[in-house]
Amino acid sequence: MFSLPILAQILWTSLATSTCFVLFALAFALVLKVNRIFNFAQAAMMTVGFYAAYTVVGLADGPGWLGFLAALLGSVGVAVLLEIFGFRPLRKRRASSMFVFIFALVISELISYVIMLVYGTWPATIFPSLFWPVTLVGPVAVSQWDVPAVVSTIAAIAALFAFLQFSRAGQFMTAVADNPDLAEFYGITKDRIYLITMIVAGLLTGLAMFLYGSRAQVQPMSSIDLLLFAIAATIIGGIGNLGGTAITAVVLGIVQNTSVLFIPSEWQGFLLYVFLFTAIVFFPKGIRLPERRLARSTPTPTINADDSGEA
Amino acid sequence: MEYFYTIVILMALYVILAASFNFVIGYGGLVSIAHPVFYAIGAYASALLARDVGVPVILAIVAGGLIALLASVALALSSLRVSGDYLLIGSIGFQLGTLEVIKNLHWTGGAGGLSNIPSFLTQTLGPQAYVAFAVAVAVCTVLLLRWIAHGPYGRAMSAMRDDELAFAALGRNAMVMKITIFALGSGLAGLAGGIYAHYFRFIAPGQFDLLQSSALLTMVVVGGLRSTWGPIVGAIALEALPQAITFINLPPSVLGPLQGILFTSLVLIFMFVRPQGLIAASARWRGRQEEVRDANRA
Repeated sequence: MFSLPILAQILWTSLATSTCFVLFALAFALVLKVNRIFNFAQAAMMTVGFYAAYTVVGLADGPGWLGFLAALLGSVGVAVLLEIFGFRPLRKRRASSMFVFIFALVISELISYVIMLVYGTWPATIFPSLFWPVTLVGPVAVSQWDVPAVVSTIAAIAALFAFLQFSRAGQFMTAVADNPDLAEFYGITKDRIYLITMIVAGLLTGLAMFLYGSRAQVQPMSSIDLLLFAIAATIIGGIGNLGGTAITAVVLGIVQNTSVLFIPSEWQGFLLYVFLFTAIVFFPKGIRLPERRLARSTPTPTINADDSGEA
Repeated sequence: MEYFYTIVILMALYVILAASFNFVIGYGGLVSIAHPVFYAIGAYASALLARDVGVPVILAIVAGGLIALLASVALALSSLRVSGDYLLIGSIGFQLGTLEVIKNLHWTGGAGGLSNIPSFLTQTLGPQAYVAFAVAVAVCTVLLLRWIAHGPYGRAMSAMRDDELAFAALGRNAMVMKITIFALGSGLAGLAGGIYAHYFRFIAPGQFDLLQSSALLTMVVVGGLRSTWGPIVGAIALEALPQAITFINLPPSVLGPLQGILFTSLVLIFMFVRPQGLIAASARWRGRQEEVRDANRA
């Protein structure tokens, strides 16, 4: 049962499947790090991204690349609207974090209900078939979905870290994440940076949802479950530590996929909640690694729901 | 007439749920959306104790409340020790995870639901007796929570919510207070669950999902956070509203999402336009913080 080829196959498939989760988690962790918001409204960005692609490809029979663009546009569009008409006004009126939480969560639910009304509750996929042609690479079957998913995820992560390291806006994001008031004192417009962060998160979410939706069925409420996975990865990876979040998402993805060998399939979905509680109970401050290269000197944002204002 | 009794019982149950939820998120300032899951735990525990163990129904209802209370303590202890944020995340995970467990266990009836739950009062004294019972529990709940919120303990709660550091500096234990508030609110939701189960005699995990969370949040936010009467007005109004929609005779596939849109939109509208809700909280409970500024600016 545990022969090397089988193990290699499971590991490869798990790794490929976890790519979407890495992107979900990175988008969530980035907004938490820079904007200091537990962005539950990311579920709305994910839902709209998927259904935009589904409309273009699944319903209108459009080409895949157009569906991909639609997913990006859908997610980014919601991200921009959320920031401009939601988070920004709430920030201006110094709404408590409880208020912001409720807002983000309710928006996600509202979008799900609207989608339910328009598209129904049946599971949908972007492409008519979820099965992709397979090529044997040694003993491992590699599907035509796996390679683009892994490559595009690696490219997206590389682009994100390059953006944060080398672009002006990315450096400003790090500055705002570190100390928003000091950053503003140095002439950085916080609102602009918060918007850019949301746009970047929207791009990551759009890509992730396109990948996910071309391999799995999605329902209007699926995004909330997917988001919980991202939250678990963010907490275990260490809030504020993007690299840790990405690695944790891969590990959790592999654990969830390989779990099919040990636990009945109907309980596989339950693992997500086990991850979440493990994260909260045992690793509330993340797993500390000896060297946190990506977090560097950026401190972990401390966000307290009982606090007022900007946490 | 049966329909009327059902509506009154549902209104009474939602008054219990909204008042206890207001106690948790409003007075206690604890951000959780998992209130429906404690309602579910109470309903399932009470139903299973009465049906499969043979516990007298009234004791089963009380036991359902206590089991919900214990579950809430477990959730609060694990989440609140880190920060308030983790309670919200934990509460969503706890709600969805518990419902997932209920769906997968055969002795809870699985996703299909639990039926043949023993009835209480209706067959011996008629449905009017059950209406009186549910309304009496609702009135007692509101009076109990009002008494707590407006008494010395309420003043301590207000102080804790306003400035936890100063509160702790006075030698008070904020953690114990938070857990107590959460446990009492959740226990009352569990009690409501038992009352629901023994009247409708059928429960299913789908009845306690995120739509219920949105509905309760709407009742509290629209009615008025941290006011005694706000959640009651919210519960009655928002229980009546979906009933009005059902008269339009829409198919369930449209009705469900439409109710969801209605609830969530109302929350958003009230959050931005009238954050204090239909009935504003009294001055003490509005506190010195941002809610007052919000109200003034709105």
